[in-house]
Amino acid sequence: MELVIALGMNGIVWGLIIALIALGLSIIFGLLDIINIAHGDFFMVGTVLAWFVLETTGNYWLAFFIVPVIGFAMGALIEYTVIQPIKNAAALSIVATFGLSIILQESVRGTFGAAPTRLVPPIETTVPLFGLEYEVYRLFAALVSIAAIVVFFGFLHRTKMGTWMRAVRFDPETATAMGIPARRVYIVTFAIGFAMAALGGVVAAPITTVDFQAGVDILPFCFMAVIIGGLGNLEGTVAAAVMLAFFEGIMASFFDPTIARIGSLCLMSIVLLIRPHGIFAGATR
Amino acid sequence: MTKDAKTTKRQTAGPKTAERGQTRRSFLQTALAGGAAATTAYLGITHDAFSKESGPIVIGHQCELTGGFSSWGYWHDKCAKAAVKLINEGGGIAGRKLEMAVEDTESNPAAGARKLRSLIQRRKASFIVGSVHSGIMLASIPIATELKIPYFSAGEATEATGSKGTRYSFRTGSDTYALAAAGVPWAMENLGKNWTMIFPDYAWGHSHHEEHRKLIEAAGGKVNDPIAVPLGTKDLVPYLARIPEETEVLFSVFFGALSVAFYTQQKSMRLDEKMKMYSVSGTIEAIDPRDIGGATEGVYFLENFPRPLEFKNDEYHKQFNELMEIDHVYAKEKGSNRVMAKSHAWQSYENFFALKAAIEASGWQRKKDTPGVIEALEGLEMENSLAHPQGAKVLRAEDHSGMIDCYMSRVEDSKFVLKKRIPRAELEAKLPPRYDFRTYKL
Repeated sequence: MELVIALGMNGIVWGLIIALIALGLSIIFGLLDIINIAHGDFFMVGTVLAWFVLETTGNYWLAFFIVPVIGFAMGALIEYTVIQPIKNAAALSIVATFGLSIILQESVRGTFGAAPTRLVPPIETTVPLFGLEYEVYRLFAALVSIAAIVVFFGFLHRTKMGTWMRAVRFDPETATAMGIPARRVYIVTFAIGFAMAALGGVVAAPITTVDFQAGVDILPFCFMAVIIGGLGNLEGTVAAAVMLAFFEGIMASFFDPTIARIGSLCLMSIVLLIRPHGIFAGATR
Repeated sequence: MTKDAKTTKRQTAGPKTAERGQTRRSFLQTALAGGAAATTAYLGITHDAFSKESGPIVIGHQCELTGGFSSWGYWHDKCAKAAVKLINEGGGIAGRKLEMAVEDTESNPAAGARKLRSLIQRRKASFIVGSVHSGIMLASIPIATELKIPYFSAGEATEATGSKGTRYSFRTGSDTYALAAAGVPWAMENLGKNWTMIFPDYAWGHSHHEEHRKLIEAAGGKVNDPIAVPLGTKDLVPYLARIPEETEVLFSVFFGALSVAFYTQQKSMRLDEKMKMYSVSGTIEAIDPRDIGGATEGVYFLENFPRPLEFKNDEYHKQFNELMEIDHVYAKEKGSNRVMAKSHAWQSYENFFALKAAIEASGWQRKKDTPGVIEALEGLEMENSLAHPQGAKVLRAEDHSGMIDCYMSRVEDSKFVLKKRIPRAELEAKLPPRYDFRTYKL
């Protein structure tokens, strides 16, 4: 029973980190209709920048502030140079972001090398939790993720830019007719998506690894969360990410973890069969 | 052709014309046409032989320059280039220049197999120094065999010189069969008898598990249920949580990012305080223990080539390190952060010299002579030298497997410290050949 609770709890913690990253993917899709194949690489850039900040300043905590800002700037630049020219062409967006993914990976490989590295967690202590020696940093990472998600929803619902983002997402033509600067909203949205993935990278780097392919494996899980949550449904994405990881954690305590992974994929298939627009389809844009 | 025929026909049309029209012009026309035809025919027949006998010998290098194995691939490429340079400076192979054709496998079996065909069919490679990626090498052996080209594997899955091996597949390095035989006796005696194995869910990991399990159980040890981790897993806690409490030895086999993730997460769960950690060199290849914050401290690794010079302290090892531009302790490249994938990459260097020896011994001139090279490779003895800095070895005739010295080391203060050298003679005694490829037709 202890193992069930421990792995369930670990699933929630991991799910919250994934939710932070997947949320960026969801807003980019929800507003811009861009299927962003490079989103995992935005996460990877976050892990590499976190490592770089630690190497140059010796202070890991700085990365929590600096990296999202760099991510935001990079996101704005990419939206302006890569996404804008192919807007309104969903098929092209897949090709363009796939190319972007390769460029980001190879740039990091060329600059920092191909060998993976490790970031020592800024909090190194562990606590005995339901039979496991559990890292305190993981609990901290979950708290940071919750805080970032809350701040994001606060921004979306309490600020003028947030209101514009929702308006453009709901009806871009009318929003433009009402004087909302849709062009600027697109840039800010994409930049926020990048910044959130980069922050996810900072949070997750001490748990996983820093390497040029770190984003490749995280992307499918993010897509699963976005699809099960309902395409473009932000609250649904968060809930689905946490539920998926929790479900996989519980399954892993009873079965082989590989079976647990297969189980979560089966769950996604069932959801797509029963509710093709996702579990939280009612709230979809 | 038609013109020549007409000319011939005209000339033989009637004696009258021949007698009358034999002018200087007609004589020259006939002579030139005949000469051209003869030259064309001669070149057509002998083109292949002529160009092969005096032109360069092309050896293909199937290498992981990009993708997940690129931190290893960089070194395989560097080793291959160094070998080619040395061979050409020494007069080439049998007086012919050695030319290397390189293709990037992208660390992907499908791409690797496609690139192998390209090396052989488009770039005309006569021999292949192959991949270190077990999936790629296993996908490549049937192709090399079909095209009758000798192929050197550098990966560890035993199948390459076992159940999926052929007369054309060779490996100078060790496989999972040899690594298990080299490491298990010492580890059983010094680390413990209750084992749990955790490995990536693909050929290499399963191969290690199977070979180790047999030996541990035969020696009276207990092997708990294996834990196979899907490739690309980020959070290993669900897998690490399943390791039984009674485990004395945790045997792990990972590579690259998954390896770092494993050591990072096991360290944070303090597993290394409860059990001995043991692994093979592939898990720590191209990684400097100093770069992963002490996560591998105290871990035992079975190496194929000791990382510090002092544990195989000879002139050839030293010269090889200098060729690779690495330091003598951490095997780190001068002027960069790269750490040499030393336990594997030497094969991409030595295999060129093994091929040179076999080509010269067999008198190979062209593709039809390839069976002679294969026969020369079977049982090839290699002396400790600059051509074979890893040490003296033999390419066993029966199963085409390299018999080499292995080294049991432990990470102490981020350095590899030798605990036991396992000489190849000891291994040969424990590893009877399970296949005899000499019975396969060439």
